[in-house]
Amino acid sequence: MPRDVVPASRLRTRMTVAFIIVAGASAAALAAGSYLLVRESRLDDSFSRAEQATRRNLALAAEVPISGGAPGLRGYVESFQRERGVPAVLLLGEEVIASNPTLDVAIPAELRSVVARGEIGFQRFEVDGTPQLVMGGRPDAGVDAELYFLFSEERLFEDLADLRNVLLLGLALVILVSGLAGWAVAGRTLQPVATASRAARSIAEGLLDTRLPVGGRDEFGSWASSFNDMAEALEAKISALTEARARERRFTSDVAHELRTPLTAIVSEASLLREHLDDMPPEARRPAELLVADVSRLRRLVEELMEISRLDAGRTSVRLEPVDLRSLLGGMLRARAWESRVALEADEAVLQTDRRRLERIVGNLVGNALEHGGRDVAVRAGRDGTGVFVEVSDRGRGIAPEHLGHLFERFYKADPARTGPGSGLGLNIALENARLLGGDIEVWSEPGEGTRFTLRIPVT
Amino acid sequence: MDERVLLVEDDASIREIAAIGLGRAGFRVTTAADGREGLLQFRRDPFDAVVLDVMLPLVDGFEVCRQIRRDSRVPIVMLTARTDTTDVVVGLELGADDYVMKPFEMPELVARIRAVLRRTTGEEPQTILTFGDLEIDPQGFTARKAGRDVPLTATEFRLLLELARRPGQVLTREVLLDRVWHYDYLGDSRLVDVAVQRLRAKVEDDPANPRLVKTVRGVGYRLEKA
Repeated sequence: MPRDVVPASRLRTRMTVAFIIVAGASAAALAAGSYLLVRESRLDDSFSRAEQATRRNLALAAEVPISGGAPGLRGYVESFQRERGVPAVLLLGEEVIASNPTLDVAIPAELRSVVARGEIGFQRFEVDGTPQLVMGGRPDAGVDAELYFLFSEERLFEDLADLRNVLLLGLALVILVSGLAGWAVAGRTLQPVATASRAARSIAEGLLDTRLPVGGRDEFGSWASSFNDMAEALEAKISALTEARARERRFTSDVAHELRTPLTAIVSEASLLREHLDDMPPEARRPAELLVADVSRLRRLVEELMEISRLDAGRTSVRLEPVDLRSLLGGMLRARAWESRVALEADEAVLQTDRRRLERIVGNLVGNALEHGGRDVAVRAGRDGTGVFVEVSDRGRGIAPEHLGHLFERFYKADPARTGPGSGLGLNIALENARLLGGDIEVWSEPGEGTRFTLRIPVT
Repeated sequence: MDERVLLVEDDASIREIAAIGLGRAGFRVTTAADGREGLLQFRRDPFDAVVLDVMLPLVDGFEVCRQIRRDSRVPIVMLTARTDTTDVVVGLELGADDYVMKPFEMPELVARIRAVLRRTTGEEPQTILTFGDLEIDPQGFTARKAGRDVPLTATEFRLLLELARRPGQVLTREVLLDRVWHYDYLGDSRLVDVAVQRLRAKVEDDPANPRLVKTVRGVGYRLEKA
């Protein structure tokens, strides 16, 4: 069910991302800080060693006269590289003397101007692709000569690059680990939420005895016990309601059942009495007639109550068999002596259904129409796109719109002042039976024009 | 008329009014108030039909029905108070011919008894009908399978005869309800189904795979021409 899975994992994702951001940002800050510190101190270190060497070399150089000309000086410059391992460059006017013939270095003007002022100058730049710290000064204040030394910082920058790579790798690891840890922790943390969501769903599905495990004394623990209290209360309430409803149904069923034996006697007695109405003395005849009529009214009411209680209890079975719609409707009207009062127009249609229930539904609808509608009661039946329909219409007074929605309620009477032979259960029974057959009943009515009930049963 | 009817019903009012009603309809009625008395009466005197309440003290209606059926084909009409549909089916499976739901009006009960008493459904063939090793004697109201008498109830015999009169032709449940049980409208088609089961149990070699009384799904039943 995506409805509940998506938000749960979204929350989990969000928690995981927060985890990654916090852990990643702290690790990145830490890494960047330590990198910068190391870099700074290594560069400082390299600088001070270079400065020391430069000063010492310049002091040595000051003892050698510069005037000897290029060839002599070359050997001198080369000696720095040879003996001290430091490549050197001597600028003498326009002349450039390098300690190594392959060394081709252009001293930047900036650096030269610092050196020209008699100070020791330095600059970092790449020579032939390797980073160098170039530092120089004037060996002899009197002569226009500049001596520069090249200190390679290749190792230093390589080390720094290694450090950077290690730190980046570490950062990536931290992010990965914090992501996994975050996902796991979020999962654990949200576990009670998922459990509670499942529990709530199973309660919604009717498993009222569902409870949450109450583990630990944290917020989730107290939440779980509140949830359980709620479920407990709900279960108690619902079972009380169910119990009351079952009692009520049992009572209806028991009453109807207990009524049945005396009713059977009365009905049989009344049916015999009816045959002798003509032989009775006039003063007894009318009461006897009324008695006979009321007995059949009582019979109908009790039978409908029994049917309702059976429908409520779900103790009903649907018996499918092929039913010829036209002959069923014709037979029903004949059996109830309604032929002369009801116009029947039915197409040929055979459907698999429960004939007694179908007969009951249409019988109740027609009975209702005859009782309330009165005029021009007609039954039209046939097949349409979705299945079979039976339409019962009259041209009576119609039903006011405010009553229309309540027509199928038990004992609902649109006009309380009118007391007919109807029990007030007929339409409800018709609808319940229609639903048992997989169908439904629609009603249309217009005051002054008439009413039309349409039973529809889908045919598969 | 003067057919003798045994009425077994425990409720005094129903018993008395039903006895009056059946008496007025021309039956000679004997009454019994419980199952044991009913069985005693049945064994003492011959009856043409039995009207039997389901809920009876001492011995219930089903048991009475079962015991009567052991050695009699007398038509039995059950009075069923319970609306449990299983009641109806149990009664029919035990061999009851028809049932009437309580409450009932006297004409209903009279009509049901007359229907089960009616022996024939029209002009009967004079000759004995033969289907394989099954012989049906319409005049003698008996059937023999492989030379031995088949103990059919009146209703089962009428059902068999009705099917045998039109071999190979499918008869719908409604037609059978009309001709065998005389319901012109809205008879319970379970009457037919249960009676067919009982008939098969007696005339088929293997009732689970009937070769004589065939079901035509969604329509009805047919007797094979042999």
